Amino acid sequence: MELGLRGAMGACVTTFLSGPCKAEVEETLKRIQRAKGVQGVIVVNPGGIPIRSNMDHTTTIQYVGLMNSLIMMARSAVRNIDPRNDLSVLRVRSKKNEIILVPENDYLLIIIQNINA
Amino acid sequence: MPGPDGARRLSVVRQKLRITFGSRKQASISGHSHVPTSTGTAVQKAAQEHRQHDVRVFDDEGKDVTPHPLFHPDPKPAASKQSKLLALSDSSRATGSVFLPFSMYQTSEEEGSSAAPHSRTSESSRISKSTMSITESMLDGIAAPGSLQDTAVSSPDVQVRREEIKEQVTEEDLDKRVDIYLTETETLWMLDLPPVVVSVESEDAARVLERNKMYVDVCKNRPGNDRFVEKTMQTINGAAKNKEVQCDKIIMEDKGIVVTTWDLYDSFNTSQVEPTSKAEGSRAQAEKKSTSDMTKDEATPAAAERGSITPTTILESAGLARVHEEEKCHTEATLRSENFQQHLFFMERILMENIFQPKLAAYRQFPVLTDPVVALGAGSTSAAIKEAEQEEHDKEEMDKEEQKEMLSDPSILSELNKTSDEMVPPTLEQLWSYRCDLTHQHNVSSMAWSKVNLDLLAVGYGAFDFKEQKEGLACCWSLKNPMWPERIFHCEHGVTALDFSMAIPNLLAVGMYSGIIVVYNVQSSDSTTEFHSGECSAKHKGPVWQLKWVEWDTGTIGGPKRERLISISADGRITQWLIQEGLGCIDLMKIKRTRSKRKNLPAEKEGKSKALISQWAAGICFDFHPKDTNLYLAGTEEGLIHKCSRSCNKQFLKTYRGHKGPVYKVAWNPFTTDTFLSCSVDWSVILWHQNSQTPILTFSSTTTVVHDIMWSPKSAFTFAAASESRVEIWDLSTSILDPVITRSADPEAKFTSVLFAKNTDCLLVGDSRGEVSVFELQDLAASSSAEVDALSDVIGPALFPVAK
Repeated sequence: MELGLRGAMGACVTTFLSGPCKAEVEETLKRIQRAKGVQGVIVVNPGGIPIRSNMDHTTTIQYVGLMNSLIMMARSAVRNIDPRNDLSVLRVRSKKNEIILVPENDYLLIIIQNINA
Repeated sequence: MPGPDGARRLSVVRQKLRITFGSRKQASISGHSHVPTSTGTAVQKAAQEHRQHDVRVFDDEGKDVTPHPLFHPDPKPAASKQSKLLALSDSSRATGSVFLPFSMYQTSEEEGSSAAPHSRTSESSRISKSTMSITESMLDGIAAPGSLQDTAVSSPDVQVRREEIKEQVTEEDLDKRVDIYLTETETLWMLDLPPVVVSVESEDAARVLERNKMYVDVCKNRPGNDRFVEKTMQTINGAAKNKEVQCDKIIMEDKGIVVTTWDLYDSFNTSQVEPTSKAEGSRAQAEKKSTSDMTKDEATPAAAERGSITPTTILESAGLARVHEEEKCHTEATLRSENFQQHLFFMERILMENIFQPKLAAYRQFPVLTDPVVALGAGSTSAAIKEAEQEEHDKEEMDKEEQKEMLSDPSILSELNKTSDEMVPPTLEQLWSYRCDLTHQHNVSSMAWSKVNLDLLAVGYGAFDFKEQKEGLACCWSLKNPMWPERIFHCEHGVTALDFSMAIPNLLAVGMYSGIIVVYNVQSSDSTTEFHSGECSAKHKGPVWQLKWVEWDTGTIGGPKRERLISISADGRITQWLIQEGLGCIDLMKIKRTRSKRKNLPAEKEGKSKALISQWAAGICFDFHPKDTNLYLAGTEEGLIHKCSRSCNKQFLKTYRGHKGPVYKVAWNPFTTDTFLSCSVDWSVILWHQNSQTPILTFSSTTTVVHDIMWSPKSAFTFAAASESRVEIWDLSTSILDPVITRSADPEAKFTSVLFAKNTDCLLVGDSRGEVSVFELQDLAASSSAEVDALSDVIGPALFPVAK
């Protein structure tokens, strides 16, 4: 059987585990952070505490606090129309940048990208 | 007063009331109950009816089976009671009290007699009462004032009540002879009004007269007399006492909720799901921590479910630390979860879409909007394979936005610039290039589109030279993420050829420099191969230079097409690989080779006689005829092109000589299937006609090796050629001497492969730095396949000199 498991050049090849290994998640996160125009990546836990962020604390907390109410409103709107539906991605595009939110049960993912760069 | 036992006993069948007070008159038996209204009673004058019965029960033998009374009254107070009873009933009669009407209603059920208390005077009343109910009510009524009641009176009635309940009426009893005795009760005085009139002749008369006279005198003297003083009296008003009570203020809280549709839906669902989820939550908790309080269990499932941790006040100090640990575990779990990874994946695509949006729009041939503030449609959430519709939909949404300002990015040329007056020369516009750190050091050796998803590209990385061999790579790139490949397959040797299957679209066959062929399943992201030709005894011994999945009919017309993997390698064999499995099944099975065709290539000595073959010449490329799958061309290292047939594996049908170096690629023209193209190391590209063994046209515009050529899928005249220093687009309808578009490579990069995109006017070019650049063909004169015949017109003049 051919081996294909050399982790050369930072690519993580998954083994026979079900689900991604931590390194793959890290790798993807790093790639996202490096992508063109990305200003910030925040991962928030259900308690509202950011568990990962590449921006300074003040800004992070500010974003988290503001986005929560927005997500609640958006979710309420979507579910009022059809309760079986639910919010999957919320994108707020402004003049300067775009904020992409992925609200989930266990976490909240916020990415801020500058689109003009 | 005669006592209550003045009545004689009766042996009666029916239930009768034993009333223990006497009456003047005889009572009559009434076997029925009649209900006179209280108003209708002739209170004063009616003859009273009295009935007095003692209830005695005798059975057939005459035995006295009278049930004993439960209560034995005291006789003496009974008499006073009677009077009081009478008085009360009197008043009740007079006023129509509650008792009588009440009891009246109940008489309908009971049959029985009524005995009426009567007055001492001739006044009598007739009241028919029900047997027990009325007395009961009367007794109750009597009991209510509470003052006069003596239970003694009620006793006989109580007794009566008891006895009545137990009596049963039998048929024989109805026919029995009944003796009834009537007696008279004692006199009941109801009212006694002494007369106020005295006869004149009585002895008191004088006194009475005198008294009367005195009274008259007094009355006369009254006014004005001092002895009579008017006096008024006022009743005492009771002193009012105010009492105030103050209570604690009732704390009221307003609570309002806006009920939303989803709130109702959730509440309904959670009430059903609750029992199961609670069990799950507690189980999950038990796994994580060994010791946990009950409250802990409640808190953390809630956290898991709704995403909000509600710290219970009980756990303030002790459990708080544990809560933090749990959160940490949670974050670890979330960071590692599949869900998270998938969302990151989508997020990456969203970002890429943002970055590359104008380029992708150009790829899709939408008019490029030069507005950077264009609002995009919904984010991409589809899986890797089905991307096309989503992309287009997004682009369409975007295209409807209006433009605002020009983009300063110079790399975007708007197609609106195209004016109709002058012919804009066709150009290649680079949109983007597929590259990443991983592929940076590799050389792109081959590229192939997926047969099903035209946005999925497989690129093989491997060196051509023997000296530079290192590990190879096969990557699947998606249009949606030009910065990181969707799949990365590491191969132990350099990849020299690859192709996607048609019948099973997720199989990717990869040929390597070592001669090994592996087949990957691109649905899984690990590098395990589905098939591996390493163990096969007949594997190739030289690099596999080209791989193709070819379909041909099984023989029956309209029957299913069988697909085979064909490979050509430097050991001189064109091999057909049979993947032995059920149709459509992807079980891991060995590759078995059924037929191997060996070519005996003549040694290039004289070229005339087909001498006995001693060695195999290396084959480098092949191409099956688009229409007739029996026919194929093979290019060799010697510079010869052989036309072969599947049915004959020993000899060639034709040999085309024209190249002076190894032929790197042959390609049939997909429209006019008589012509084909070949490129070679000798810097030239030759167009052939299959009937002629000498070249029709030769295109030599470069001074470097031509690595790759490909006919355009859109036009019969157009093809692309990649030589090391530049890529050229030839359009034979325009010129047969020069390419219409040339694009030079960067100094350190060499173009090694070309690929046309089928669904759009784009060209992909791979180079030696591991980059696959996507170029848009702009302003290329469009031609349709209807002009296929024109190609023969073009080459016609060239044919004639040769066709001799």
